[in-house]
Amino acid sequence: MAITKVASPKDLDKLQKQCQTEQDKHKRKLMVCCGPGCLANGAAEIVTEFKSQLKKKRIKGFSVEAMKETGCHGFCEQGPLVVVEPQGTFYTRVKKKDVERIVEETLRNNKVVDDLLYTAPDEKTYRDYREIPFYKHQKRIALRNLGHINQCDIRDYIAVGGYQALAKALNKMSPSKVIEEVKTSGLRGRGGGGFPAGRKWESCARLEERPHYVICNGDEGDPGAFMDRAIMEGDPHSVLEGMAICAYAVDSSEGYIYVREEYPLAVQFLQEAIREAEEYGLLGDNILGTDFSFHIKISRGGGAFVCGESSALMKSVAGEVGEPRAKYIRSVQKGLYDRPTVLNNVESYANVPVIIDRGGKWFAKIGTETSAGTKAFSLVGKVVNGGLIEVPMGTTLREIVFDIGGGIRNDRPFKAVQTGGPSGGCLPDDKLDLSVDFDTLTKAGSMMGSGGMIVMDEGTCVVDVAKYFLKFLVDESCGKCTPCREGLYQLYLLAVKISEGMATENDLDKMEQLSGVIIDASLCGLGKSGPNPFLSTIRYFRDEYLTHIRDKRCPAGVCKALITYEVDAQACDGCMACIHACAANAISGKKGEVHTIDQTKCDKCGACFAVCNRHAIKVA
Amino acid sequence: MNHDMSKLPDIFARYPQKPQSLIAVLQDIQKEFNFLPCEALKETAKHLDVPLSKVFSVSTFYNAFSLNPKGEKVIRICMGTTCHIRGAGLIQDQLESKLGIKAGQTTSDMKFTIEVVNCVGACSMAPVVIVNDKYYADVKVNQTKKILKGG
Amino acid sequence: MVHLTIDGTRVQAKEGEMLLKVIKQLGIDVPSLCDHDAVEPFGACRLCLVEITKQSWDGWKKYVTSCLYPVEDGLIVNTQAEKVVEARKTLIDLQLARCPGSPEIQQLAADYGITQTSYEPKIDSDNCILCGLCTRICEHMGFAAISTVDRGPDRRIASPLDEPPPDCIGCLACAINCPTNVIPYTEKGNKRTIWDKEFELITCSKCGRKTITRDFARALSKMRDIPEAYFEVCDACHRAETATNMGRIAGWSRREEAAS
Repeated sequence: MAITKVASPKDLDKLQKQCQTEQDKHKRKLMVCCGPGCLANGAAEIVTEFKSQLKKKRIKGFSVEAMKETGCHGFCEQGPLVVVEPQGTFYTRVKKKDVERIVEETLRNNKVVDDLLYTAPDEKTYRDYREIPFYKHQKRIALRNLGHINQCDIRDYIAVGGYQALAKALNKMSPSKVIEEVKTSGLRGRGGGGFPAGRKWESCARLEERPHYVICNGDEGDPGAFMDRAIMEGDPHSVLEGMAICAYAVDSSEGYIYVREEYPLAVQFLQEAIREAEEYGLLGDNILGTDFSFHIKISRGGGAFVCGESSALMKSVAGEVGEPRAKYIRSVQKGLYDRPTVLNNVESYANVPVIIDRGGKWFAKIGTETSAGTKAFSLVGKVVNGGLIEVPMGTTLREIVFDIGGGIRNDRPFKAVQTGGPSGGCLPDDKLDLSVDFDTLTKAGSMMGSGGMIVMDEGTCVVDVAKYFLKFLVDESCGKCTPCREGLYQLYLLAVKISEGMATENDLDKMEQLSGVIIDASLCGLGKSGPNPFLSTIRYFRDEYLTHIRDKRCPAGVCKALITYEVDAQACDGCMACIHACAANAISGKKGEVHTIDQTKCDKCGACFAVCNRHAIKVA
Repeated sequence: MNHDMSKLPDIFARYPQKPQSLIAVLQDIQKEFNFLPCEALKETAKHLDVPLSKVFSVSTFYNAFSLNPKGEKVIRICMGTTCHIRGAGLIQDQLESKLGIKAGQTTSDMKFTIEVVNCVGACSMAPVVIVNDKYYADVKVNQTKKILKGG
Repeated sequence: MVHLTIDGTRVQAKEGEMLLKVIKQLGIDVPSLCDHDAVEPFGACRLCLVEITKQSWDGWKKYVTSCLYPVEDGLIVNTQAEKVVEARKTLIDLQLARCPGSPEIQQLAADYGITQTSYEPKIDSDNCILCGLCTRICEHMGFAAISTVDRGPDRRIASPLDEPPPDCIGCLACAINCPTNVIPYTEKGNKRTIWDKEFELITCSKCGRKTITRDFARALSKMRDIPEAYFEVCDACHRAETATNMGRIAGWSRREEAAS
């Protein structure tokens, strides 16, 4: 099909109607979630199977085109997910062999396949996903299209009103009006810092030097966060549209999306989306028939957490080593190639079209006074319902962990929730009623960060978590300045010492003193926030540190040097599974008899613990 | 070891002949050869007119690059926060002891390379291990044999 | 011009000037290892940390590295604040852990009352403090023969691929400017070796002294458009020749004057 360029807002309206008609042809649609989680669990196989089944079975009133590969639907824990719209029939943990039944029963006979529905821990079964508590408590703005449109089809995006906000900005608003609207919305950068986006745009727009650049940070370096990946893969056009609106506001004609190399699919889909948008005249030269031109290029990151730091990211885009530079040079003034540059992250840009479309005031009403709008989180860890969520700012941690997340797996007690990635911190149960917004989290010693939310139960050791994050930061430090390179490394060594039961209480004092110096003296944000994983855990879990130091004991049963595996003679039925699993040959015993572990041989790999069906292996 | 440098012009042609193309070019070389051969680094420096020292600096700075050839099967253990608290470290220990190598190393028969990656964004299925392109979700410590066999 | 106060002394400084320069002009002892007049400030060692505040800041204080902080009007700087000195001490302690065998760092540590690092010392340390002066000066001169390699605690200075650097011209700028003297080189007869690369030293055709390397001469000749033959004579002999010529010219002009 030859594509005519959209040359005016009227053209876009016409195209939108056309695309809607195409959609309305399908009375029902079948959405196969192809988000990161579902893909890892075999969604691609399910798509292929649906295609072949639909071709083979020729269901009346249901064409192959009515099956859509969508971005992340959110409820990753239950994936792979298949949804039939508009009913909202929600199938979970779908396997290849289930596909035929869905096609026959649901698509042909309009019946629900009961055993594929979601059953909550309270045994309640849900037919319509919108009723499930996991979805009910959410409000989606940045993730608005995820799971509802074909991730790679610009016509799907246009059908739901895509690029209308760009048309509105170009034709009805001056650049300064666009900035005014974003300022009114109160949108703060979703990448972690929380700097007001409108103000950033304004300072860039005011600078006379040209060219201006617009960059989207899709590096998402925080381990345990995948919101940006989900948006780039599931709704790439919303990012492009947001960037184009920003470019119009700050008079830029060249933009870059910095995507981490670990996200090959995001790179591919964004590339396709850029190509499509250019074909339709919605990106590139003379967008929508105006004299505004904006080109976007993809820059693949090389895998370096420090590139989340703006000056390091810009160096990386320029093909250099991602080393941050002095703070006093602001990247808005001297960014990419030393030119004025606006840098926001994926989620921030994805919010922009909605703000322009519905107005800054509408957006500002959502959330709290100082943190407007919603925030996407990847809710993961030891929580029952893990996945991708979006909630209004100001929602409490408790609502997120218990109402949406359904509480802790296996009914174990909640211990902490970690937010803000390696620069953030762990918050204990008495902080569960805190409102999730930029300022409250920072005050409590953690931070919003990009949106990873990792739930921990009693089986998580905070010393181990601090050690893990410190190791991460040591590996990811660029090594330019002494406090970060040497200081974090020494902090890590001291954490190791504690986890091995070799530390004294003096070491804790030393760690606290060193942390202060690292914060004051480091060159960039990575170093300045580097001690946070230690500081937030020592602040709320000092006792657990002291147990490691004084009693040489790890209460969570995680720190290898301080635990032993033992057989519970009452529970052991002598099945020999652990004996076969033990690579160190440390377990002995005959079939039917209680087994014993030779502590001198045991290397504490945990294999026996994992294989024992009778929970007869105890960690002490 | 000799490597087929005739593929380089193709890779070079994909990007503008400017220093800012350095990372993109190295990524494509890494993909083509599974590592960055020295000869390729020298050619890249010449082609993009970047000092060889800078090319070396960039190729040792980013995680995506490796100066050593990788094995037939690259085992990537996700070490995201969720994977870590759900026991990815124990799985790493098992794989390392089974293959007799540490993360970042390759077996002498060039069959396996173990890598630890920061986060692949599949946290709901933690812990995750990826062998070449195959995902293993919710991995248990006693499943490492199966993973090595490719089951 | 901006006006500021440093350790109680009111001073004037040029706009855009970095704080550390002004502090040093006052003769105040603030240690710094990575700062050098020849290159842009870098901010790696962080020892030049100072406390700053302003009257309008309402008692709020900030800690900045003075080498990378442009002077501001009304700034009140304390270079010896308790917290600053404590931080410097910790930073030196950390450097000592990295370079336990460096006499220069040992001395600096001793100045701050540290005789032994309180941290885990690095085993087999190369005693390089990673100030980056060598690579920055080399790049500034237009050669970029060496660079930083790897990252985090593994960061080090190296020649490309750890082979003799193709772009090195053997000028010794890296070795001479190294604050801890850890870039080794040797000279024997008319051979100089640095970074495992061997260079030929030019012998002055007049006095027979060893001058610069042949590669350096070639590079200079290209960069400055000077005939290569110029470098066959050492600087001292060139100067002597110039002086003789000057004398001759002066003689001529006196004679001309007398004749007219």
